[in-house]
Order: sequence, then structure tokens, then C-alpha cells
Amino acid sequence: MTESRLDLPQGTVDLLLLKTLALGPRHGWAISERLRQISSATLHIRQGSLYPALHRLERRGWIKARWGTSDNNRRAKYYELTRRGRAELETQAVAWRKLSVAIAQVLETA
Amino acid sequence: MRDRLMRQWRTLIRERANRQWRELSLDVVDELACHLSDLQESSIRRGASDEEARQIALDALNAASFLELSKRPRARYGGYLHDLRVAVRQLIGTPVVTTVAILSLALGIGANTAIFSLLNSLVLRALPVNDPHRLAILTDASAQGTDSWTYPIWRELQQRQLFDSAFAWGTERFDLASGGVAEFVDGIWATAGMFDTLGVMPMLGRAFTDADDQHQGGRDGPVVVISYAFWQRRFGGAADTIGRPLTLDRIPFTIVGIMPPEFFGPDVGRRVDVVVPIGMVTVARADRRLEKRDWWWLSVMMRLRTGQSVDQATAAVRAVQPQIRSATLPLEWPSIDRQKYLKDGLTLIPAATGNSPLRIQFERPLLTILIVVVLVLLIACANIANLLLARATARRHEWSVRLALGASRWRLVRLLLTESLVLSLVGAGLGFLVAQWGSRLLVQELSTQTATVFLDLSVDWRVLTFTTGIAVLTALLFGTAPALRAAGVAPMEAIKDHGRGTGGETGRVSVASALVVIQVALSVMLVVAAALFMRTFDKLVRLDLGFDPTRVLVVTMNAERAAIEPAQRMSVFERAREAVQALPGVERAALSFVTPVSGHVWGNRLEVSGSVALTDPERSARRNQVSPEFFETYGQRLVAGRGFSARDRDGAPPVAIVNEAFARRFLNGANPIGHTLRRFPARADEAVLEIVGVVGDAVYRRLREPIPPTVYSPVTQPSPGLPSNEFNLNVRAASGSPALLARSIADAIGEVNHGLALTFRPLSDQVNASLTQERIVAMLSGFFGALALLLAGLGLYGVTSYAVSRRRTEIGIRMALGAAPQSVIRLVLARVSALVGIGIVVGAGVSFWASQFVSTLLYGLEPRDSATLVGSAGVLAAVGAMASWLPARRASRIDPAEVLRDS
Repeated sequence: MTESRLDLPQGTVDLLLLKTLALGPRHGWAISERLRQISSATLHIRQGSLYPALHRLERRGWIKARWGTSDNNRRAKYYELTRRGRAELETQAVAWRKLSVAIAQVLETA
Repeated sequence: MRDRLMRQWRTLIRERANRQWRELSLDVVDELACHLSDLQESSIRRGASDEEARQIALDALNAASFLELSKRPRARYGGYLHDLRVAVRQLIGTPVVTTVAILSLALGIGANTAIFSLLNSLVLRALPVNDPHRLAILTDASAQGTDSWTYPIWRELQQRQLFDSAFAWGTERFDLASGGVAEFVDGIWATAGMFDTLGVMPMLGRAFTDADDQHQGGRDGPVVVISYAFWQRRFGGAADTIGRPLTLDRIPFTIVGIMPPEFFGPDVGRRVDVVVPIGMVTVARADRRLEKRDWWWLSVMMRLRTGQSVDQATAAVRAVQPQIRSATLPLEWPSIDRQKYLKDGLTLIPAATGNSPLRIQFERPLLTILIVVVLVLLIACANIANLLLARATARRHEWSVRLALGASRWRLVRLLLTESLVLSLVGAGLGFLVAQWGSRLLVQELSTQTATVFLDLSVDWRVLTFTTGIAVLTALLFGTAPALRAAGVAPMEAIKDHGRGTGGETGRVSVASALVVIQVALSVMLVVAAALFMRTFDKLVRLDLGFDPTRVLVVTMNAERAAIEPAQRMSVFERAREAVQALPGVERAALSFVTPVSGHVWGNRLEVSGSVALTDPERSARRNQVSPEFFETYGQRLVAGRGFSARDRDGAPPVAIVNEAFARRFLNGANPIGHTLRRFPARADEAVLEIVGVVGDAVYRRLREPIPPTVYSPVTQPSPGLPSNEFNLNVRAASGSPALLARSIADAIGEVNHGLALTFRPLSDQVNASLTQERIVAMLSGFFGALALLLAGLGLYGVTSYAVSRRRTEIGIRMALGAAPQSVIRLVLARVSALVGIGIVVGAGVSFWASQFVSTLLYGLEPRDSATLVGSAGVLAAVGAMASWLPARRASRIDPAEVLRDS
């Protein structure tokens, strides 16, 4: 089940998390579920690295957190994008697209 | 249900974090727990079994970087903050051990700090003045410390300008009342040089100057400088106090200055509230003390010149000493005393810490008590070390797990020392409060009605250093053994024998045994000290005074400022006595010049007809002048001859009554009646007295000194040179407390003369006050002796209980094999009694040696009093037996079947 998944390259986790949160506030578990769904279970964020990544983004000021109640009625920490986070998402998305186009080009022409 | 899931995960996460030496915030724990709970539940929804779902979540938890949310705390403050948190958690986790430890430390450290701060302010602390290290005090080479000087000597010295500046002062209690019952304020007569010499100026107003220090006051009339405390107390700190009048001893003074708050005067142990120019003494006192060459009442302090050492200054004084001495020689002194007077070398000693008669009186008792409290603290340390050792053994499992997970041994030791340090610092913090309270209480206890003791107990760097130092030291003392124990744990060994274990305990047991021996030995010493001091006090309290102090009120009548001709004073005193005698509730009233244990002394060297050969000092006897009712009022029995009567008037043949000690000293015990006595060497103006009666021996000045030969003469036959300004009226109440009579006595005397200043004091208070030092030493050593016993008992109990619990299996097997309960009790007791025995022998030995140092504090018993030693050993043995019998009995009730089942 796990062997078909791709491990994410360094640095792309941030982008994916920002993107996931662009749709609205979510708590950690919901974020990982959401990622699993939209990436059709191919992309795999290691359980351990999700929270360190979230906290890193929070420290950078791209997302902020508040305490709420989850669907399961648990005290859960909800993350949402800040204005700076939204801008960062734009920048990183553009950069990623450029990079993937460039790499695709190299792969095709070489 | 869900909550339970969350709770489970929270616990697991925390445990994991602890294993990895991580600190997770509550929020992070919650966040992760929420995640894992959700994960587990969703796994179930996706079809996993309960067990599988749990495993999935556990795997997630185990994923290596999961907990990396916490930075390794080592990064901050080298991990000390983390150690601190873990230590606090550990201590909170074992509340009983922690509370016992902290309380005994608080008492131990508190007592040490209290005694130290007393010693500090009495002995160590510099006067709160400018550059105190350049101050010196004038002393006699032949004596130490408390020397007093005459005003002529001061004048001679002052004129020679040997120092930067100098001043002389004499202590006095001034009466604030305008008549009747006196209201005293502590003050000094001082020369104007005081302010310059000390380098302390009034914070408000001005100092007085030489211009004010005239015999009738200067330009502003009589002026006075008051203390900050007196300003607050008397004037409520009013801004317009400068210029206000203040009546002292019926003389109107004008307040010209207020000293800064930290100033308490040149004497340590006494606060000066009013500073009066010394010139005013001629107005306030008729005794002509400024002229007299044999009125010793002044202390002299000087500020040395810059660069002038104390030795150089002494040399300078010695150079002019012959002139000073010969210019001030008391001419009427016998030649032998005059020779001594000329020879005595004037000497300066450093006075940075001020002048203090109290210091000499209390230094040794305070040092003794300091040693006592240090010993108590050591016992407390031994106790805590034992508690921690026992806990250390219980925690070996935890430690070996930590070691197995990669913690270094040093880290473990550090963690344990941190725990010890937290304990001792919390103890020291509490102890500091105990000390603040305790030292103030002690100073209060030191004060008596006639002498208010004041010590500046504000916290300074010395006290802080002492307390912190002692806290760290105690932490090392009681923390090292458990820490070393932790360092000796093998990583997995403890896990293997977790919960069982008979081997590998010898180290712990031998350290604990040594601690027990030390504890018992120290306790023996403290109990011996307590017993010695308490028995001393008891002997003094039960001492036959030779008179009965109950129901006697001493009324001191001072006529100094009353408008009475000196020649008439005696008859006014006598009229006052008659008025009081007539009051209801008064059994008897008598006049006396001196009252017992009041600190006042009147004495002469005597020549007695038919006397045995005596050296000069042996000729000295105490004297008193009394009215005929005196012996009856005091309950002093007449042994032979007659008492005084109305016939012994001025003009009648001069008579005297002596005590038995007099007969023993001067006449080898022969009947003194009919013998005559006079001063030695004889004075032309004094008559020869004939002895007409003998009374029983009675205490004169101090309870501790042997009863001196005493001569009583009648008040009606005046003794030349004896001041008549003050006399005591001794009133025996018919029943009940004599203090209740004070009001009616004051009224009765007021009707005779308004101007007399009156002071009241029950004689029993006077007697008690003379035992202040002994009472305090007995009280403190008794209290700490009891505390030591309690701590030693607790320690023994703890160690025995622990030993029993370690040997539970062995005891169970013995009993299964048929050992009787009695033999089990014997088994347990044998070991403990051996330890206690060794401790007692060691403690008794050290006490035997150390008691010589307290011999001066004892009365009526030898320092190596065998009854005390044996008794103390017995008390310790009893406490030891009791403390170990309880666990031993518990051991004998072990159910063998249960033990064997558990094994």
C-alpha cells in the first residue's frame, strides 16, 4: 500500500500545506486527510514531519493557529493562511510551475 | 469515550517525550493526541480492527521525527532549565518526602540565618557611617573593650589634637515626663565632635556645634538632635519638628536636627534617640561629673588621620600619656591605685564595628548557639540524605532506563543535584522568613525593662551570602550520596531485578548506617548541651536568693530635677515611704540605696577590727543603705544581734549590720557583733561603724557570683560622698501582683512631692531580667535539642523501616522455617542498636571533649557532669529503641505465606 507512494522532495511540503490551507482553516488531521484525498493517495507526507512543518510555517508567519473544536468534538488546533502566507503561496506556486516546466523540458529534449 | 482516547494518547506522548528528554508544551501534546486519536478512529472506520487501528497510531507516534516539535532543550541554558523542571516534577511527585525535607531545612537554615544575622549586626557589621575603618576607640591596656573615661581625661586628650577628630559620649536614659511616672528615652550626652568624627550629619536641620555645647546651651539655648525613629514615633514625622521644644529630665530643649534613618549611635546594641550636648549635664545633674577625676562614664572614639594606622595613633597617645595621666590623677585615691592609674597604657583599638558592651556579654552565648544550630542542620542533612537515598533506590529502575536510552551518567548526577539544590533553596527561602521572625523575637527577648536592645537586623550581603552558601552546602551534603548512587547504576541491571533485589544493596546500607551513627552522635551532643544549659538555668531559678522577690515592687524615686534641697531629700523620701506604707494593700515599705540584681553596686574596701589578714582585693565588700523595715520587706532573716531602729539617727553612735559572708571573710566565721569597721584606707570624714547585727546572705548584683560580704547601714546615718539624688522604695504587697499597686503608689508619692521622677519594676522581673542570657541559651538549646531528638528519631525510624522492607523476603522465609516473632524483632533490633550504640559512644566522647568550651556559661555544675552525659545517652537510647521497635514489630507480623507467594 505504501510502496506506490512518492516521498516529497525537500521544500515542497510547505507549498502543499499552504495550498491545502488556501481553501480554509483546518486542523492537523484534516490537513493530512485532505492531502491524501487530493493527491489521490500518491503523495505521502511522513506522519512525523507534518506537525514540524506546520509549526515552521507558523513561526514564519505564513499561517496562524487558533484552538477550536473538531468534527469529532475534540479540542483541535486550526491553522489558516495569513496575508503573508497567501502571497507566499502565490510566489511559491509560480516558482514551482516554472521549475516543473523547465525540468519537464530538460527531460523531453535531452 | 473519546476523551479517554485523548487521555491515553496524551499519556503515551508525554511518556515518550520524557524518555527522550524532551519538553513538550501542553498545546503540542494536545495537538498530537488529537491527531493520533483521529487517526485511530478513522482507521477503524476504514475497516481496521481495534488492535490494528491502535497499532497504526502507535507506529505514527514512533515515527522518528514525530516529536521533533520540541527542540532538544539542551540548546537552552545547557539543559539546566529542563533539569529544573524535571526536578520540580520529581519533588512534587513525592510530596511527603519533599515536605519533610523542606520543613527540616527551613528550620535548620532559618535558625542558622537568625543567629548569624544577630552575630552579624553585633560583631561583623560596620557602623553605618562614613569610612568606618578609620574609627578607633580608646581603651585601657589592662582591660579589653568596655573602658570608660573621665571628662578631665577627655579634655586633656582633646586639647592635644592627635587625630582628625574625636568625640566622647556617655549613655543616659532621659525622662520625657514632666514629673511623676517616668517615661524613658535612650540617649547620649555627646561632645559636638560626634557628627564630624562619625561623618554623619542630620538629614533635617543641623548638628549641634561647640558653640551649643556650653554649660548652659548656646545661642539657641539648650538644643538636642533626635533620631529618625524617635521623630516618627513621637512627632509622626511632622515637617515642622525642627524648632519644636522637647522636655528631657524637666529641661526644655529645642530640637535642631534629625538624624538619618540608618543612624543608631556609636554603641551597637542600643539605639540613641536623643543626642544631647555634653555641656548640658551640668544643668541636668548636680553631681559635678565634668570636674570629677574619678567619675568614669565616657567612651571616647576618634577618626584617625588619613594614612595614620591604629598603632601609630596609639604611639602618639602613649607619647603624651604621662602628661594626660598626671594632669587628671584622682588625688583622693589611695597611692596604690594612683600608681596603677599612672601606669595603665592608653591604647586605641579599631572601631569600624562600633562600641558594644553587649558584644562581650553575648558573643560567646551566640557562638555557642550558632554551633548548636549548625549541628541541627547537619542532623537534618543526614536525615534528608537518608530519605533521598531510600528514594534513590526506588528510582534505580527509572535511572537505568534513562541510561539505556542514552542519558549520560553526568546528566543523571546533575539532575539529582538539581533536585537537592531545589530542595535546599526552597528550604532556605522559607528559612529566611523563619530567620526574619526568629531574630527579631530573639532581640526582643534580649531586651529588659531597663535596657532596650536594638540591633539593626536589615538584610545585608553578608546574611544573603551566608544563607545562600549554607543552602548550597547543605544541598551538596545531602545530595552527594544519592547522586553517586545514581551514577553507579548499570544501564539494564536495575531493570532485570526490578521489584526484587536483595543483592547490590550493601553500598546503600553502609552509607545509611554511617549516617545513622553521625545523626545519633550529633544528637547526643545537642542533648548534652541542652541538658547542661537547662540545668544551669534551673539551678539559677531555684537558687536561694536570700530574700523573697515575690510581691515586691521596686519604686525608684529620682529627685535630681525635683525642687528639693539636697539636704532635705532624705526626709522627702522618708515621707514618701510613710505615705506608701499607709496605703491599703501594702504590707510593708522600705527604703534602700541599692536593690538586688539591679546592676547598681556600692562597694568599699574595709578595715575590720580583729580581722584576719587580707590582701587589698579581699578587703572589698558591698554596701547598702536601708531603712529599718528593709530586712522584713525582703524576708531576709536576722541571724544575730538587732535590726535597725528609729534610735539609729544622725548623731547617735553609727551602726552597721553585716551578712554571714562578711563574718566568714573578715572574721573567719566568728561572731562579728561588737566589732567595728571603716573604710580602707580610712577617710577623715567618715565615722567608724559598730556592727550590731548579722543577717542571712543575700544575692547582691548577680545570681552567678558568690554572695559577697555585705554591709548595711541605716539611711538615717548619712554616708559621706554617697549621692542622695535617687533612692529606692521597696514595697511588699499584702497579696497578689505588686504591679497593681503602682497607680496608688504614684498618687501617694505625688502628694508628697510632684517633682520626683518615678520608675516601677517588680523585683521578680528584675531577677528574671538578670537571667536573660541564661534563659535564652537554655530555651534555644532545649528547643534545638528536642528538634535534634525528633529528627534523629525520624531518621532511625526511616532507616529501620527501609531495612525491614528490603529484608522482607528473608524474614518471611525465616518465619516460614519456624522463627518466632520475638527472634525476628531481635534480628532487626540487633543491627539498629549496634548503630545507636556506636553513635552514643562517639557523641558522648565528643561532648566530653567539647563541653570545656562552654564552662563559662554554666552554673552549679561541671562541664563534664556525668549525670548529664549518662542521662543524655539514656534519652538517645530510648528514642532509638522506640524509633526502631515500631518497624521491628511490623517485621514480626509479616505473613510468611504472602511473602512466599509474592516471590
